[in-house]
Formats: sequence, C-alpha cells, structure tokens
Amino acid sequence: MAAEGGAKARDALDALTKVCGDVRPGEPEEGVLGVVPGVVAAPATSAEAAEVMRTAAELGLAVVPRGAETRLDWGAPPARCDVLVDTARLDQVVEHAAGDLVVTAEAGLDTGRLAEVLAERGQRLALDAPLPGSTVGGTIATAAAGPLRLLYGTPRDLVIGLTVIRADGRVARSGGKVVKNVAGYDLGRLFSGSYGTLGLIVEATFRLHPIPAAQAYITCDLTDATRAYEAVQAVLHSPAVPSAVEVVSSSQDGLTLGVLLEGVPEGVAARTEQVSALLGAAGTQVRTAQEPPEWWGAYPDGTTLIDVTAPPSALATLLEHRTEGVSLSWSAAGHGYLGLTPEADPAGTLARVREDLGGRHNGAAVVRYTPEAVRNEIDLWGPVPAFSLMRRVKEQFDPENRLSPGRFVGGL
Amino acid sequence: MESPALQALARRCERLLGTEAVISDPVRLRTYDCDGLTTHRATPGLVVLPESAEQIAAIVRACAEAGIPYVARGSGTGLSGGALPRTDGVLIVTSRMRRILEIDIANRRAVVEPGVINLDVSRAARPYGYYFAPDPSSQQICSVGGNVAENSGGAHCLKYGFTAHHVLACEIVTPDGEITELAAGGPGYDLLGVFVGAEGTLGITTKITVRLTRLPETVQTLLAAFGSIEAGGTAVSAIIGAGMVPAAIEMMDALSIEAAEAAVDCGYPPGAGAVLIVELDGPAAEVEHQFGEVERLCREAGAFEIRVAADDAERALIWKGRKSAFAAVGRISPAYLVQDGVIPRTSLPGVLAGIDALSAESGVRVANVFHAGDGNLHPLVLFDDAEHGAAERAEEVSGKILDLCIEHGGSITGEHGVGVDKSRYMPRMFTETDLDTMQMVRCGFDPAGLCNPGKVFPTPRLCGEVPGFRKGVHPLVEQGKAEQF
Amino acid sequence: MAGERDERDGAEPRGLPELLGDCVHCGFCLPTCPTYVLWGEEMDSPRGRIHLMEQHQEGAPMSAPMVQHFDQCLGCMACVTACPSGVRYDRLIEATRATVEEEHARPLPERALREAIFRLFPYPNRLRALRGPLRAYQKTGLERLVRRSGILERLSPSLAAMERLAPPLSRSPRLPERVAARGERRATVGMLTGCVQREFFPGVNAATARVLAMEGCDVVIPARQGCCGALSLHSGREEEATAFARRTIVAFEAVDVVVVNAAGCGSAMKDYRDVLAGDPEWAGRAEALSAKTRDLAEYLAELGPRAPRRPLPVTVAYHDACHLAHAQGVRAQPRALLAGIPELTIKEIADPEICCGSAGTYNILQPEAAAELGDRKAANVRATDAELLVAANPGCSMQIATALERRGARLAVAHTAEVLDASLRGLGREALVPRAG
Repeated sequence: MAAEGGAKARDALDALTKVCGDVRPGEPEEGVLGVVPGVVAAPATSAEAAEVMRTAAELGLAVVPRGAETRLDWGAPPARCDVLVDTARLDQVVEHAAGDLVVTAEAGLDTGRLAEVLAERGQRLALDAPLPGSTVGGTIATAAAGPLRLLYGTPRDLVIGLTVIRADGRVARSGGKVVKNVAGYDLGRLFSGSYGTLGLIVEATFRLHPIPAAQAYITCDLTDATRAYEAVQAVLHSPAVPSAVEVVSSSQDGLTLGVLLEGVPEGVAARTEQVSALLGAAGTQVRTAQEPPEWWGAYPDGTTLIDVTAPPSALATLLEHRTEGVSLSWSAAGHGYLGLTPEADPAGTLARVREDLGGRHNGAAVVRYTPEAVRNEIDLWGPVPAFSLMRRVKEQFDPENRLSPGRFVGGL
Repeated sequence: MESPALQALARRCERLLGTEAVISDPVRLRTYDCDGLTTHRATPGLVVLPESAEQIAAIVRACAEAGIPYVARGSGTGLSGGALPRTDGVLIVTSRMRRILEIDIANRRAVVEPGVINLDVSRAARPYGYYFAPDPSSQQICSVGGNVAENSGGAHCLKYGFTAHHVLACEIVTPDGEITELAAGGPGYDLLGVFVGAEGTLGITTKITVRLTRLPETVQTLLAAFGSIEAGGTAVSAIIGAGMVPAAIEMMDALSIEAAEAAVDCGYPPGAGAVLIVELDGPAAEVEHQFGEVERLCREAGAFEIRVAADDAERALIWKGRKSAFAAVGRISPAYLVQDGVIPRTSLPGVLAGIDALSAESGVRVANVFHAGDGNLHPLVLFDDAEHGAAERAEEVSGKILDLCIEHGGSITGEHGVGVDKSRYMPRMFTETDLDTMQMVRCGFDPAGLCNPGKVFPTPRLCGEVPGFRKGVHPLVEQGKAEQF
Repeated sequence: MAGERDERDGAEPRGLPELLGDCVHCGFCLPTCPTYVLWGEEMDSPRGRIHLMEQHQEGAPMSAPMVQHFDQCLGCMACVTACPSGVRYDRLIEATRATVEEEHARPLPERALREAIFRLFPYPNRLRALRGPLRAYQKTGLERLVRRSGILERLSPSLAAMERLAPPLSRSPRLPERVAARGERRATVGMLTGCVQREFFPGVNAATARVLAMEGCDVVIPARQGCCGALSLHSGREEEATAFARRTIVAFEAVDVVVVNAAGCGSAMKDYRDVLAGDPEWAGRAEALSAKTRDLAEYLAELGPRAPRRPLPVTVAYHDACHLAHAQGVRAQPRALLAGIPELTIKEIADPEICCGSAGTYNILQPEAAAELGDRKAANVRATDAELLVAANPGCSMQIATALERRGARLAVAHTAEVLDASLRGLGREALVPRAG
C-alpha cells in the first residue's frame, strides 16, 4: 500500500509540476486532521487552479482545499488527501467597485487585508467572522460569521457571485457582480458551508456596506438566565435595530449581554439611551463603549466547539446547559456556540443539547472541532434532514468522490 | 386532454383529491394558460388544486410513475412565464393552501402555506409591530410560494434584501414525491439557498417559515424632480457615496411620468425630466439626520423641486405614480414589453445613453422606470400591436437592452426571473459550463426532469443514471443522441 | 369614479374586444374577488372570467361551464376598484350576462326560479304580499310561478331575520308625495323609494325623507315611480332593464337631484348613461339622470350638516355595500356622517372590500356561495364587538343579519339614514338597539 501510495504521489507531483508553478510534496505537519497530503499545490491564478483540478481528475486524485488553516480542523478528516490545494497565492483583490458597493476577491485573500482595502473607501464586508487571518474562500466554505449576522446574515447572504473549479477542472461561475440578480441558480449559497466537497472556490464577489460613522457597544452583567432571556427579547423587539445582540457566559453563574448599535453619531446616541434603558430595567449596571469588549465575537474557550442553530427563544433552553467546563456565546439571530473543556463530557453534553434543541426548537447542534478520541465516538453532524438530496447533489458535482471526501455530513 | 396517460392521471387525482379539486374540461383549463406574462401561453393538460403537502406528494408521485411533467403555480402573477403550464402535463395550483399557520413573535418568524398572499403575512404580523420585508409590486396578490420560487425582491430590497434573505425554512415535496424540510443554517449543504430562486424546478414548496422584520420606528419619503435623468443619477450616486442605505431609491423618466400622470393624475412636478423617490426608514434619530442629508444632496445634484411626505397619505400619493407606472403605460401606448435588466449602478449614464441610441435608431419608444439604488432597470418598450412587425421590432430592442446590461457587467433579470421568457438569453450571460454546473443541482433533485421542465435553462442537461455513480458511456451518448459533459 | 376610469380621450365608444384587451392579466383583482377568496380557482376570478369572455369572443360556444362561472360572479365590482389598468369589468360582465341570456338555454327549474325573481322583486305590489307574518305568503295572490319556484323558501329565513332585527321604531305610514323642508329651504330633491326598501324597510325611506327635510330639503317623492331596473340590469335582462330605466327617467325629470338610499339602485341609475347610450332618443335624458343621481350619504356630505346632531352612545360597525363602495366610490361620506354624531363609535370591519354575498339576487340563485360569504362577513362583523350594524343597502343588512343568526348571534341592523334620523330627532340609543337583557 505504502509503496503504491508513494508511486501515486510521485506521479501526481510530476503531473502537477507541469501545470502549476508551486508544487511540492506534503509535509507531515500539514496533515488535515492527521491526514497528510501527498502533494501540496499552490496555484497563482484561477487558470492554474483549473489545471491542477483537471490534472487531479485525470489521475483520480483526491483534492482538499486549504486557506489559512484557521478552520482546517473543522469537520471530519478527509478519507484521502492526494493533493492539498493551497490558495495562499490566490490573494488578489480583483475589483473593488466602490461606487457599486461590490468587491471581487480571490479565494486565498486574507479577510483582514480585504477589510483594509475596503476601509480606504469607507466600506466593509459585513462579516465579522472570528479568527483573524481567515481567507475569503475558507470563510465561505465554512459559512463562518460573527455577531453582525443578526443584521447582515452569513456568507450566503453576502456572496453575490462565485467562481469555482469543478471536479473535472472546468471553471464555473454563478451570480455576477450586481446585488440584484435572479438569473440562474445561486451556487454561492450552495457552496457556503460546503467544506470543499463540491468544488474549489477560487473567486467571490460580495455586496458591501458603508462603514458606519459611529458605533456603541452596550454591555451588562446578569446572573439570572430568565432575566437575560427577557432582556435579549426586549432589545430584539425594540425599534433600535441593533447590528448585533450577543450573550456570553464562561461560568455557571455569570452572564454578559452585549448590544452593538451602528449609525450616525446622533442616532447611535439616541438609540444607546433606548437600549440602556431596556437593559437597565433588568436591574443591572449598563456600560457603554465605542470599542468592543474583549470577548466580543470570539469562539468560547474549550477543546470542543459545538455550533448551535435554533430559533431565538432557544436561548432560554441553552442557558440551562451551563455547567462546569461549558462556556457559551449566543447571537440573538438564533445561532450560538458552546465551548467545552475535556472535563465537560463532550459526548454527553452534545447528546443532551441535541435532545433539548431538536425536539422543542427544531434546532441543530454540529461539532466543529473536538479531540480525536471524542470525534471517534460521536456523530459530528447529528440528524441531517434532506440528506438523500444532499448525497445526490454531491454525486452530481463529484461523481468520483474526490473532493474533500469524507469531510462533510454523512461521509460526503 | 387527449392523452390516455393524462386521463388516467386525472382519475387518480380525483380519487386522491376529490373531483372538486381537479379541472379537466378544456374551457376551464384554458383560463390557466398563462401567468402574468401573456405572450407565452400553453393550456395545461390537467389542473389540480391540492390542499395539503400530502396531496401534492401523492400527485408528484403519480406524475413520476407516469412520466408526466408538472408545473407549480401560485397566484399566476409571474412576469417571466415561470409558471407556464405544459400541455402534456399537470399544473399544480397552490391557491387553496393559504393558511397562516403560525405567527411566532418571540422568534420573529411566521409559518405559512405556499398560497398565502405576500401582503397577508404583513397584515397578520402588523398588530405585533412586524412585517414581511420582501415587497414585490404585486405583493397584494402574489403568493409566498411564488416568492420563494422567484426569489422575489421589491422596491425596498435595496436595504432589506430578497426573499432568500427572509426564508428560514421550507417544507418541500421533492421530485421523488417525498416531503422533506430544507432549513438555513442546519447541518449539510444549504439546499434551501439554492432552492429559493430556482423557479420551481427543484420541487414544490408546501410550507414556508419566513423571517418577520420589526416595523421601522420612522419612515420618511421625498420626491425630487430633476431636469434630466443624468442629474437624478448624480443624486443617487451622491446618496450612496455618502454611506447611506435608503430603504428605496426609485427613478422614473419623462415618458413614464407622462404615462403615470395620464393614468392616476399623480401630480408630479411639471417639466421634470426625471423624478426620484427616496425613502429612508429605521430609528427616528438616524432617519431624521440622514433625511436632511438626502435633501441637501438632491438639491446639489440639481433638483428643482423637492416634496417631503408629511404623513402616510402624502407618502401614498408620492408612491402612487411609481406604483402605477407599469399599468399606466397602457395609457400612452397600445402595447408594451416590460424589461427587467440589472447594471452596476455606476453604469447608469452609459446604459441610458445606449438605450436612447437604440430607441432613436429603431424608432421604438422606451420609457424607463428603475430601482435606481441597485441598478435594476425596467425599460418599457412601447409598440402598437396593430402595426405589422412592430412587436418583433420591440422584442429586438428589448433584447438589445439586455445585451447592454450584460456588456456593463449586469444581469438579464433582477427580479422577474428567467422562466421561459429569458432562457434563450442565459448563454449570453453564462458559459456552457456555468449552465451545466447549475444543472448538476437540478439533476440531483430531479433526474427525470419532470419538475417545471423547460424553464431557466435553454437546453436541458442529461442527468445520467441516478442514484449511483455513473459508469461507462450513457446509452443516449452511445447512440449519438446526446453529448456527455 | 366613473369619470376617472371612463373612455380614453377622444376614442370612439369601445366595444367588447377593446374592453377585453385592457386586461393585462396582472391578477390584482384576485384577492378582492369573493368567489376567488372562497374557491381559489382561476375561472372564478375576474381575470379568469375575462379569459372565458375572450374564449367566447374567439368563437368558443357559450358552454355550461362558462355560464356557471359567469353566474357565480356576484357583480360586486371590487375588481373594478382594484384594477390598475382601468378594465371596465362592470361593463364586461353586464354585456356577458346579456349574451348568456341570449345564447344559453337554462334548465327548466332554474329558468323558473329566475323568472319568478323578476316577476316578484321589481314590483312593490307583489312584494307587499310577502310582508307581515310570513306564513301569509302562501295564501296571498302571488302568481303560481312565484309560489312554485321555491324562491319563497329561500327568501323566508332572511325576511324573518329582518323582521326580528329591524329597528324597533320603524313602523311608518306611507310617504306623501312631498315632504317640506324644516327651516329655510336649501334644496329640492327627488327621492327614489325602491322596491325592497319600500316594502320591507319603510322605516328607512321615512327616515331618509325626515333627514333630508331636517337638513333643509324639500323632498319630492313621485308616486308613479317604479323599479329602477337594477336587478334586471345586473342580471343581463337588458330589455327589461331599459324599460325600467326609461320609466325612472321620466318620473324624475322634474327634479335637479335624485337621492337614492339603496346602493344597488343608485349604482344602476348612475349607469343609465351607458345603458341607453346607443338610443339616440334617450341617450341625453339618461345622461342627465345619471348626472343628477346621488347616494344619500354622498348628497348629505355635499350639502354639509346644518341640523344639530344629538348624542347616540352606540358602537356601530359600518359595512361597505359593494354597489356603494365599488360601483359608486362612496366610502368616506357615510363614515363622516356617522362620525359627526356625538358619542357614536365606528368600528371598521376586516376585509371591507369583500362582498357579503347578498349581491342582488345572488343569495337566492347561488345560496351556498352566498351563505359562505355571509358567514365570513358575519365573523368579521362580530369581531368588531359593535352593537349595531350599519349598511346602506337592504340586501346587505338582510344577508349579514341572517348569517349572524346562523352563528347564534343577534345584532341590530340599521341604515345610515335611520342612525342619522335617530340622532337628529334625539331618540337615543333605544331607538336603534334593543335594551340589554
């Protein structure tokens, strides 16, 4: 087996070297959840990336994309990894049409760098996904988003055009570079959160928003879960239009609530008063700052990260799961994370959360990362409605099962 | 209904749904021969009016077994022929599935059946201070199921987004006849994301969970009159450039103003070459500040008259002309085509000059109405249907306008959808591979190609043998009847 | 209203094909169409019926299914209000109904029922035979046809409901030919007494005359007036309708204004100009009559209040009769009149644009659909928690009252004129609503 694998890797290396300027053997420390790539290829252009994918198709190689590795440990390990396609050299801002509030960027571009470019024209991509250094492509592939999801949504809501390389090496585009567009299927949404299993994302076009002139972070500490829930509901149903409403807890009894308001200075000032009054009604001291508190938008600590999607009212249920070693962050949009220490019984906690959220709230809990030992004994994804449709779509895009095989739900 | 297969299906549907829910006589069937786009007509082979997901699933299974195509239809208001029936197929009409099942304010959502009318969702949510944000101009009659199929927008989608951004989950009947749920944010692929806007080609939605949006604290609307479209365009750029995202920015040119005046006597400032309607909404303190800014920017761009709506009645008056514009064009022209193209907003001057040139060259008049904030143009191409060849000339001009949009990096449709009307333009915007890739999704959902066939894509893709991985050469390819990708 | 959506400038009077061509198939009429609301079928929407008319125009025979869907149209004209393209569905359906009567042979029992209706309603004398204790109708001198058609059985529940629910003080003597203005005279007006109104709601006519007089009008009530022809006109019985129209024109030629308190009648009289447009001898006279016809509320609003209003502490639900709201565009005036009464509270009924199902003869000819619509309206009326239902059409009042009774609810009903009358005369709420308990 090993000798055969070595021969395959050598063939791959030879073939890929002919079509791509940066190809080398994979190193052990480059393993994707322990699966060491045979070859690492870093195409510099979409055309080169297409050649890499075409060559991989010809040789029947399994391909796993890699951005900045910030979320490479999410999901399941690939069943095979013959070629790791590193998008690091695909790092250009292709076009920033500031007048149209639209940007096109290559997949390997650092989102922080993108933000700098946009800020020069007073604009931003309203995705505050945690983990600095994440790439454009990786953010889309993992559907990562932060607190701003309450007002602006997740990558699916902001990607307006996407270019991918298919399993067979052909370049396919969907959407375009205008915000309003209903021509054809929206593959941007399909590829959001697809973990590299449908194709290689090489370029994306996003709708942008102006950077607000003023912002205010209003925070308060609470001990009572019911009060916290009621305070979140009060802000949510108020006309203050918060950009984000977050609840975090890192211990059994402490809860912190944070609201982000953005707009013109006069407006933010008036709305800060409104929101402060609502929070103050919970009988607690309210703080206001122009800068985010240090916990803002971070994943909760722990060696296991559980991603929870459920309606806003599920917060009350979720707060019941605060036990020793479990920290939590929750966006009032209906999405949150649980961070678990190894002592917190990840498998048991996961089972309890799924039971509570699944039945009462039609919610879902997905494990993003966890130690290998835990991973082997749990189902990372939980029940997947419409799985047979997903499998059939995967079979269409990747009939030979070579794109990040096994990384995704149900072994896709 | 000549075909024995259809007759057999009709009997089966009658057993499943009752005779009251099955229409099979030719006179009645013909009333379903088109949706809001009357230039494409086809009398359906059979019409059924189900009242539940289970009934739809049973019909779809029956169609799948018999190999009969089917098309779903809501209120029949689409403008691209997306619900054009098949003469050899079944039209599944959801107009009897119109219950609002739940209004869940704590979770800011509502659960509705597909036949529920868009505006009725907002009406039901209004007492709680909420509404359903997508507001296509047909919102008083279009169905939420249709909105899902078309990913409908509206004048206010500049700020609030489209249906895709306001649908949290859909229960659907798959082309296999299974009832399943697609939800946003759950584990697995975002099938909901691709289902919304797929124009009914991936299945039939039977229950929709929509997001409700808090009613804004304040709404402010102004009407600004400019000497020319260019001046109006400058104002739009200035407003966007100043970092504002108004709820809506709408523009009308002189010809469409003339039509609206003829129809509803909206009293827009005389002599205007263009009027701009700008609406801001949100927290009072924000809106107040920005509204002054909008007024200033309009004046700087050369607005010679600005009217600010003092109350809802005045706001309605400002919107009246804009909202009546399409129907009103009938007052200045015996017939017209409504086009729906999109351009990057900054290309507006160039594209309008191009449309002017096309109009001058062909002698075909074009009135322009736009969602100026997001570059969505609705050129109304006027012609006299009594005049020989006029319709063809109008069609040609209309097509060339789309070419202009594509040249400027835009789209062939911003909100009306592709349907049957524009599938032939798809290859101008997308490559063969692009279209093939989109159709992979369709092959995953509907390998037999029975669900609303002939829409969106100019040529169907061969789906191969599904499920299971394809091995070897497909028989049709071998026989030279098809090409495999 | 009529002027706004009338002929396009400078055009010839437009025929059926042109009128049909105005429809762009947008579907905005669908949600306001009562039958579409009930059944959700294209053929039972205005857009679908126009499609059927087009099919007929193109040569398809007037088949039974077509006739069924035309018959099921209530003629409420809500679609005319909703249409952004100005389609004259009112004229289309009237013309189509006439064609149906010409081309379609109805089954015998249906023919008998229709015949009975048109031999009964337009004739106050015959209607009178139905008044009083209802069992009397079996013995009276009604024609055999009327007795055998089943119409009386269909009518009796509504009539019985009305007997119970009409304002308690409504017994009134027959009206004289002239009622003099109180105080300084502001105008002289003619008054139509109607058929059903006159025989079943004489109190409404009496109240109308008193209110007009108290507001300073000399009221002329020609004894020789008959039916205005509304029922015939709205049912495609063209010849009958024009005969009634001519007679009505003659009866009111001497006055400057004709005040009508029944919505269906007012709407028909405003349409005389279209009905007789093709008749050179009558066109001008019809135009003149249409131009001077006013609904009572419309007229009182134009005239402006003079007589002092006295308090009426009562909560009313105001119902828009289709032939007032949709056909005549009179919505604000009755509400304004009611709002002008001290201590009176007006409640709005949900879905005001949807017909109650009465629609002239509809509740007799399409009893099931009518009952369903009546039930919907009754539910919306009940939801207002009002003590009194106010409407300006006798058919609506009967229809809604009957539907409410089916739900086990009793609600007093009154015409706008009766409410005003009670206020002007200071009769207090007891004149309109029965004492609690």
